[in-house]
Amino acid sequence: MILRIVLSVAIVAALACVPLLLPDAYVNAAIQMLIAALFATAFGYLCGQGGMLSFGHSAYFGLGAFAAIHAMNAVGGEGLLPTPLIPVFGAAAGLAFGLLAGWFATKRSGVYFSMITLAIAELVHALAPHLKETFGGEGGVSTFRMPAWGISFGASGDVYWLALAWTVLCVGLLYLLTRTPFGRMTVGLRENTHRMKFIGYEVHRPSAMVFAISGMVAGVAGALQSINIEAANYVVFETSVSSAVVLNSFIGGVRVFFGPAIGGALMSFFGYVTADMTRSWLLYQGLIFVLVMMFLPRGVVGEIVFRLQGGEEERRALRPGTLAVSAVGVLCGAAGVVLLVEIAQRLFAEAYPGAAGGWPPVTVGGVDWSPLSPVTWLLPALLIAVSVAIFLRGRWRDRAAGAAARSEEATR
Amino acid sequence: MTDPVLILDAVDKSFGEARIIRSVSLEVERGEKHAVIGPNGAGKSTLFHLCSGQLTPTKGRILLDGASIGGLPPHEVNHRGLARSFQITNIFPGLSVFENLRLSVLRRRRRNWVFWRGIAGLKETNRRTEEILAQVRLTARAHDLASALSYSEQRALEIGMTVASDPQVILLDEPMAGMSHEETAYAISLIREIAEGRTLMIVEHDMDVVFSLADRISVLVYGEIVATGTPERIRADARVREAYLGEEAA
Repeated sequence: MILRIVLSVAIVAALACVPLLLPDAYVNAAIQMLIAALFATAFGYLCGQGGMLSFGHSAYFGLGAFAAIHAMNAVGGEGLLPTPLIPVFGAAAGLAFGLLAGWFATKRSGVYFSMITLAIAELVHALAPHLKETFGGEGGVSTFRMPAWGISFGASGDVYWLALAWTVLCVGLLYLLTRTPFGRMTVGLRENTHRMKFIGYEVHRPSAMVFAISGMVAGVAGALQSINIEAANYVVFETSVSSAVVLNSFIGGVRVFFGPAIGGALMSFFGYVTADMTRSWLLYQGLIFVLVMMFLPRGVVGEIVFRLQGGEEERRALRPGTLAVSAVGVLCGAAGVVLLVEIAQRLFAEAYPGAAGGWPPVTVGGVDWSPLSPVTWLLPALLIAVSVAIFLRGRWRDRAAGAAARSEEATR
Repeated sequence: MTDPVLILDAVDKSFGEARIIRSVSLEVERGEKHAVIGPNGAGKSTLFHLCSGQLTPTKGRILLDGASIGGLPPHEVNHRGLARSFQITNIFPGLSVFENLRLSVLRRRRRNWVFWRGIAGLKETNRRTEEILAQVRLTARAHDLASALSYSEQRALEIGMTVASDPQVILLDEPMAGMSHEETAYAISLIREIAEGRTLMIVEHDMDVVFSLADRISVLVYGEIVATGTPERIRADARVREAYLGEEAA
């Protein structure tokens, strides 16, 4: 318990130092990471704790964003609601709409629930461009951050600390909520709604409440985005926003509380770094998701937690040696795939002369690769082969160890 | 003097054309152990579904302590003091054994909406959970996932969750199904213990269990009750022998 508190304080303190240590560009990326982490936590709370897979979380994020924009324009960051408290409006919008939408969506479960959330989000998405007064049409709505409490909110560091404070507050409160009776009722809903009814639970109201709380936190994340970019546009209602939070949360691991947050932050950082470097970054993001789901279905954080809590057999993968080999495998595979994709992308580009122009070399990573040279294709193939070999070796060892453990148990 | 706690009055249940329960009338006395037997497809589980709120009767009344419960949602039926177990194990597989039971206790003590206190601080809830845990002999497995329990342990947990609602009437739907001989013997003593001071209604196929446990037995055949009485009388009843027990002997 004390260890947990000390660890949490240390992590928050380290996060608070980010603007002091990193240049502005990275601070901006870090703000995006915080927002993605908070949004993913909101989704993860609903999905991982409540067992409700929402395909339409952009609605609550977006409404939070617009509520914050209009609040900033209306109150000008003054009086009782200065800039730092603007996310309260995002929370209110997310909560109100979450309660309304959640009331209907939680009348069903499973696939039907997901479809209703998707339909509601699409409804908002389709409606938003027509409500120019509220959502600003193509140009969106813009605003300005006003100084408050003696802070100018001009520098990205100020915005970062504001985002950090709200993220820590919301994630912290949600975490504490999971340890209360209400939080335990929530996991009961996830595990077996049918049985819940027969031990005396009315399940619709708590489900709608969990949904509304998730919408509220998503609204806070949306509001932080508005404060950060001083604008909002109806593109926040796009399906891609809803799907990104699903993918990020599952990559992190939706069943462990901090999994979605870490997944959201990592994938947001990944996007920030790769979007400028390559046009194929969405492909890579998709590949990461597919590979994680195939080989680490618990998610990255989920897998680590599972192995840390497991017995000797589970922990084996966390030994430094094994980890190093795994890392080499992942890096080799990634390098091979990236090389292949980037070369192919350039060869298929319209500007490339192709057969008529005699197959000139293309440049990837500052090196010229001739499509006619065998090295161009053998190197990525070799890298991928090494990666696959390491993977197969690991799997074979797991099986052998598993069989040995079983036979040992049998002889006992 | 009779003091029925659960009364079924001319209850009918049809699914489309099929009349599964046909005008069943039954009075379960307070404190008795009442078994319902009958061949497969007789409607025993349907009868339990009707009493527990899973299904709504097409016709007729179901009274618990004089108040109508027919057609109430399951949680309302539970609040009025009737809890049930399921033929197919129905637990919270991803939660610990302790938490499976605590969820039941939590609702019974109406602490489930509490969001301002940690669960660890609810001393009375946790104490009561420990008590039930000990009663169903699962204390040693308190912190294991429910999905990791053996089959018979899961059946015991299932019974524990039902008792944790602290009901006056317990319905157990084939609690011994799939158990070994030893496990069954142990389960009988467990059921005797938890039924202390409560009313028990049980569906069970194992005739040894039924005849050793029940105070009275009702025989359900094709949705109709053909006989109700003490084990001795049921054993002697010609219609029952023909409809049911005869089948077993054949």
